[in-house]
Amino acid sequence: MADDRPGIVAAVSGVIVALGGNIDACSQTVLGGYFTQILVVSFPQTVAAQDLVARIQKGAPPGGALQVAACPYVAPAAPVGHVPTERFVITALGKDKPGVIHRFSQYLAGKDINVVDLYWDCAGEDFVLTAQVEIPKRWEIGMLKADLDEIGHEESFNVRIQHENIFVATNQLRLPGGHR
Amino acid sequence: MLRTDEILSTIQMLHAEHLDVRTVTLGLNVNDCAASSVDSVCRKLREKIIRRAGNLVRTCDRIGSKYGIPVTNKRLAISPAAHLLAGHGLGAALQIAHTLDDAVKECQIDLVGGFSALVQKGISASDAVVLESLPQVLSSTQRVCASINVASHRAGINMDAVRQMGDILLKIAAATAAQRGFGCAKLVIFSNIPEDNPFMAGAYHGEGEAEAAINIGVSGPGVVDSALRRRIQLGGPLTLGDLAEEIKITSFRVTRVGELIGREVAAELGIPFGIVDLSLAPTPQVGDSVGEILRTLGIEKVGAPGSTAAVAMLTDAVKKGGAFASSSVGGMSGAFIPVSEDAALADAAAKGHLTLEKLEAMTSVCSVGLDMIAIPGDTPAETIAAIIADEMAIGVMNNKTTGVRLIPVPGAKVGDFIEFGGLFGSATVMDIRNAGASAAFVRFGGRIPAPIQSLRN
Repeated sequence: MADDRPGIVAAVSGVIVALGGNIDACSQTVLGGYFTQILVVSFPQTVAAQDLVARIQKGAPPGGALQVAACPYVAPAAPVGHVPTERFVITALGKDKPGVIHRFSQYLAGKDINVVDLYWDCAGEDFVLTAQVEIPKRWEIGMLKADLDEIGHEESFNVRIQHENIFVATNQLRLPGGHR
Repeated sequence: MLRTDEILSTIQMLHAEHLDVRTVTLGLNVNDCAASSVDSVCRKLREKIIRRAGNLVRTCDRIGSKYGIPVTNKRLAISPAAHLLAGHGLGAALQIAHTLDDAVKECQIDLVGGFSALVQKGISASDAVVLESLPQVLSSTQRVCASINVASHRAGINMDAVRQMGDILLKIAAATAAQRGFGCAKLVIFSNIPEDNPFMAGAYHGEGEAEAAINIGVSGPGVVDSALRRRIQLGGPLTLGDLAEEIKITSFRVTRVGELIGREVAAELGIPFGIVDLSLAPTPQVGDSVGEILRTLGIEKVGAPGSTAAVAMLTDAVKKGGAFASSSVGGMSGAFIPVSEDAALADAAAKGHLTLEKLEAMTSVCSVGLDMIAIPGDTPAETIAAIIADEMAIGVMNNKTTGVRLIPVPGAKVGDFIEFGGLFGSATVMDIRNAGASAAFVRFGGRIPAPIQSLRN
C-alpha cells in the first residue's frame, strides 16, 4: 500500500522476477489516491516473508515508503455444507453518516449473505453503496427487500435489491442464459 | 464481476429515468373455442383464458420485483374474434365481448385485444358481425380492445371497409358520448397489421403464431431523452450521427430489459417467448415523451420543418440498437406518436405547431400512425374515412404498418381541450382542413389495388 504514483507495480514485480517468482493472481485498486495491491506469487525455492518484504520496500519508487505484508498462501478450504446461492446487487443511496455500512452488513451477515464486492462513494450530494452479494436460495427476495427497506427508512437511505442479471443484460453483449 | 459504473448507470436508467416494461402481453389462440352454441363458445373461452392467463399477473409481478423493474401492464391478445363468430350474429358478438371482459377482469389483466377482423380484401359474414357490433361492444365493455385491418401491401386498400369505419367511428363516439367518445380509443384501424404486436389497442394473436406466446413492449422515451441530454451536456463537436449512436446504445439497453423479463415470464408460464417490440411508447407523464426527444434533438416546436427527419433518425436508431440486443424483435418496433398520450405532442398540437398534415408526414417514418387524435364531433363520416385512407396508403405503398386511432369527440369543436384520463392523457381537438371535400372519392368504394412491387421511387 502507498500513495499512488507511477512505478509501484514495476518495482514490486521487479523484485518477484529477480527472485525467479511468478505472479499467479493479482488485484489492485486506487481509493482516495491510495494504491492497494494484493498478489498471489509462487517461487521455485523457499523465500522468507521478511526477506521479500524488505526487498520490495527497498525498491520502492521515489515518493514515499511502501507498506508491505507477506504471508504463506494457503488455498481456502471449500465451505462446509455449501448452500446454493444467487447473485444480487444491493444499492443504497442517502446522506453519509457513521455506521451505515455496518448496519447493512450486520443484517446481511445475520442472513448468511456473503458480500463479494462492496463499493461506497460520493454520488453528487449523496453517498452510494453498491454491494454484490450471494443470497442463499432459501430466502424469499420480497422478504429481504422489506427488511432492507425498513433499515433504509430508519437510516434515510433509499435501498434496492435486484438480481445481477439485469445489470449483465443492460451492460454486456451477451444476454444472461443466451438466446434460446 | 460487474463494474460499479455499470451498476450505477443501470440504476439511473431504471429508477431516475423511470424505465419500465410497458406491457407483457400473452398472445393466445382461441380458435378451438368455436362452437355452434354461443353459450358453449363463451364457456370454453372463459375456461381457456383462466387456465392460460390466470397466473400472468402474479408471475409478472414476482419477476418484476426480482429485477426491480415494474411491469406496468399485463395484457391478453386473442386470435381474431371474427373466427369465433362464424355462423353467429350480433347477440353472440356482445356475449363473447362480455365474456372476454369478465374473464380478463377475473385474472386482473388490464386489457384484452383481438376483437378483430381482417378485411383488407373483403368482408366475410363473421367480419361484418364484428364491424356491426363495435359501437355496442366498445361502449359496454371496459377492457376489450378492437382492431380492423383494412389494407395490406398485397391486397391494397379495401375502401368499402374504410368507408364503413368512418361511420362506425362516429357511432362508437356517439355511444360513448358521456366519456367524450372514449370508446374510439379502444379501436385501431390498420394497414399491414402485425400478428405479434403487444401494444393496445391494436394487439391480436395472428394466424401464423403458436398456440400461445409471450410478447413484450418496452418503454423508454424518458431514458432516450436523458441519454441525449447527457451527451449534449458533455459538449464538444457533436453531429446528428453522434446522437443517433447514443439513441442506438440506449435502445440496446432498454431492449435487453424487455428480453430478460419476457424470457423469464415465458419460461415460468411454460409458454414460448415471442418477441420484444422496440417501440418507444410515451405516456402523458412529463419526461416520458417522444415529443421531448424531438425538442432535445433541436426541434424547438414539434411539428416544425425537420420534425419528420428527426423522427426518421430516432426510429432507425431505435431499430438498430434493439435488433442487436435481441434476436426476437417484432411487433411495430419504432416510435409511437400518440398525440393525447404524449405531453409534448399534445402541447404542440394545442399551440398549433403540430397539424394533422404534419403528423401524417411523420407517420411515414415512425412505427404507427395517426394515433390518439381528437377531432371535431361533427366531422363527416366520409372525411374520417378519407383520413383513414390516406394513412392506409402510406402503409401500403411503403410496405409498413400504419394505424389510425381517431376520436371524433361528440359536441367538441376545434381547440376544445379533452381529458381522457390515465395513460390516455388529454388532447386539444385538431382542425381538419377541407373537411367534406373528399366525399365523392370515398363514395366510389371498391378496392384501391395493391401497389406494384418494383419501380420503387
